[in-house]
Amino acid sequence: MEILRQRDTGPTTRELELYFGPQHLGMVGNFSITLNVKGDRIVSAEANPGYLHRGFEKLMEERNWIQNFPLVCRVNVIEPGSMEMVYSMAVEDLAGIEVPERGEYIRCIYLELSRVASHLFGLWAYSKMLGFETVGGWAMYHRDLILDLFEELTGGRVYNIYIWPGGVRRDLPEGFIGRVKRTLHEIGGKVPDYNKTFFENRVFHERARGIGVVGKDEAKEMGGTGQVLRAAGQEYDIRKVDPYGVYDEVDWEVHTREEGDAYSRIMVIRDEMIESVHMVFKLLKDIPDGPAYNKVPNPFKWRIPEGETYVRLESSRGELGLYLLSDGGQRPYRAHFRTPSYPHGLTVLEKALDGESISDTGNIMISLYVTAPEIDR
Amino acid sequence: MSKVGEEITAHFPEINTHRIDEKRVEVNTDKGYLLSLLNFLKDGGYDHLGLISCVDRMEDGVLQLVYVLSRYAQDESVPGPDPTLVVKIPLSREEPTIVSSMGVFINAEPYERELYEMFGIDFTGHPRLDPLFLERDYDIPPLRKDFDTRRYVTEEFETIPPVED
Repeated sequence: MEILRQRDTGPTTRELELYFGPQHLGMVGNFSITLNVKGDRIVSAEANPGYLHRGFEKLMEERNWIQNFPLVCRVNVIEPGSMEMVYSMAVEDLAGIEVPERGEYIRCIYLELSRVASHLFGLWAYSKMLGFETVGGWAMYHRDLILDLFEELTGGRVYNIYIWPGGVRRDLPEGFIGRVKRTLHEIGGKVPDYNKTFFENRVFHERARGIGVVGKDEAKEMGGTGQVLRAAGQEYDIRKVDPYGVYDEVDWEVHTREEGDAYSRIMVIRDEMIESVHMVFKLLKDIPDGPAYNKVPNPFKWRIPEGETYVRLESSRGELGLYLLSDGGQRPYRAHFRTPSYPHGLTVLEKALDGESISDTGNIMISLYVTAPEIDR
Repeated sequence: MSKVGEEITAHFPEINTHRIDEKRVEVNTDKGYLLSLLNFLKDGGYDHLGLISCVDRMEDGVLQLVYVLSRYAQDESVPGPDPTLVVKIPLSREEPTIVSSMGVFINAEPYERELYEMFGIDFTGHPRLDPLFLERDYDIPPLRKDFDTRRYVTEEFETIPPVED
């Protein structure tokens, strides 16, 4: 941290301007905050995004429909699965492509696995920030086990591009379902250890309770979704509100808490992770036979009829939307992502930091579950 | 016709709405109605501003603003998921100005800043209308269709000498 400017606000206390970031453990990617502090209390905060602006939305206008996949999945570096899904959903909607039922099941299994991987990454970041090296190590290891499964699917560990317009790129390999179950049993078997070492630990309770409180009405006013809203008691999940895939065919519940502080946000993430694991088992039980995808036209000559669409889904961080336009050509005319971190990192964060201590800045940032590349795009 | 579409037309006869499909309703209006329409929708349960976007329709000389609205709480009187509203407002490309909607939705703030920076739209009444992401100045706002990325990159960066071994 670097002191930029000192302001004289009276004989006893001075207000200082602190520059927080852009490299910080509390943030995935680069992002900075200008804090106005008095003593160690934050008087006001201003978010400064832009360090990861890559102009993807402009670039997408220059590439054909399939060439955009490698760009799209880099919008959210932590959970590329939901980015592939939202883009595929939009393209399918514009082009009128159907997805076979098995394809929808495989997509949901893949998306839930990415959600678990993403939450484990979040848990790694949060526990490391509080000094729990062991828990961080476990979380990273368990995330890696899921990435091993993804590697088997497509050869890529992080940017898989497995979801594709019309379904998925190829059917599950032989014996894959058994390996998914084994991996999930291994992760699930560790939950009591996670609880004992981290979630029931006094240090976690004392550092997280009452920190960065965002109430239900406030969160709604500021466009909050995902954990920010569910931790404040609002049952809002796109998988229930506006179901896609086969989420309305499988039995699962939305987890909420009431307090709206960092503690409840992390606990909602924990509960969701467990729910997703259960959901994958249910989906694996019900998965039908049949084709996993419908073929798309030759990608190099593919023209999509004129039209526009807005699709949304629940990513691991909240409501992810895509406004996509076609003018009848080989490329999108305009694409605009509505990413959950955008309101969380720019509007909610500034509000949540008010009156908190400097040492809790990272704590609040991770508990809001913001990823910088999603904000900048 | 959807329920929300009927409500809008009943309250604002000049605004036309049409249902695109099950999940979406399009609302076409002009900039004079923006605040009253947003207030009306917010009071009627459409309290979640998902996105403010813009499309540059260069051949028509129009920058089309797009407001995406949805509901936090399900409308119990209508079965099934509630449709998302896509409110479209055309602005002139030469002088794009519109009133800021921050008074209705606080989270409009960063979206309006971004559109100011990327499309050069002036949102009157916005308290800090300064660039959000970029650090350079551009003659043409970079997300407009007449901004040529390739030419910009060539002109801007060709003069930088290559790194020698």
